[in-house]
Amino acid sequence: MATTTASLTISSSDISSDAISISVTETFHKAGTTIGLDQTTGMARKTFAAASSNQNIALASAYTDDKAHKLFVRNPGTSTTDHITVVIASGHSVIGKLYGGEFLFIPWSGNEDIDVTTSATNMSVEYMIISEA
Amino acid sequence: MATTTASLTLSSSDLTSDSLSISATSTLYKAGTTIGLDQTTGLTKKVYATAQTNTVLVAASAYSDNGAHKLYIKNVGSSSTDAFSLEIDATGLNAACAVVPIGKLYGGDFLYLPWEGEYDIQITTTATDMELEYMIIYEA
Repeated sequence: MATTTASLTISSSDISSDAISISVTETFHKAGTTIGLDQTTGMARKTFAAASSNQNIALASAYTDDKAHKLFVRNPGTSTTDHITVVIASGHSVIGKLYGGEFLFIPWSGNEDIDVTTSATNMSVEYMIISEA
Repeated sequence: MATTTASLTLSSSDLTSDSLSISATSTLYKAGTTIGLDQTTGLTKKVYATAQTNTVLVAASAYSDNGAHKLYIKNVGSSSTDAFSLEIDATGLNAACAVVPIGKLYGGDFLYLPWEGEYDIQITTTATDMELEYMIIYEA
């Protein structure tokens, strides 16, 4: 059984008078079990020569619905103005924008496609899915 | 200007034949700038005594649209079977849209995502007496 973990730290010494220091770790399990997730896409990278709308990075039909898949997406660029918009359900719902260096990490049920839209030319996106059958 | 950072590490020695070790760090800026996000809800805890269906956790109306807000949510329970389902509700903006499931947080699971402040974030629970913590770091 594979053991995969994610650790997140959010910290700030000056956003409020009480410093923020949140550190959490989770182990990835199949839905409703304590059995480790055992499949992955590996870290994928796509580069879009032109600004592109609704480019698929996670095709729901390729994954089982209602599972405990995990999705990591990162904008590996450095621009603070160009961004990657991550959307779910064929563009109907925007999850959020990733400016240069930003990332997201979410559970993904596998029910709806995940797409990205880039705001400029020559932008790249990196992503990885850790999944179960 | 406040400086807030988020760091994520994904690791596994046995998921594939090549060990997995991914690290990402970002400084949290206002949209399109290098000015730090300067507002936060603080770490908030919610206890749901009864099972919930499509309950608003974060109301978009309280935040500016098109912001570079960041959202952290954790299921602080320990059950491997009870879960929070996270949903985006875009129905208020587009009738063609629906309440879209993102994924489920089982005990100890968390998420971290950018959030534009346009859509409500909702939760559905599978049991009674479930607890979660969340924090929004945001801009005006």
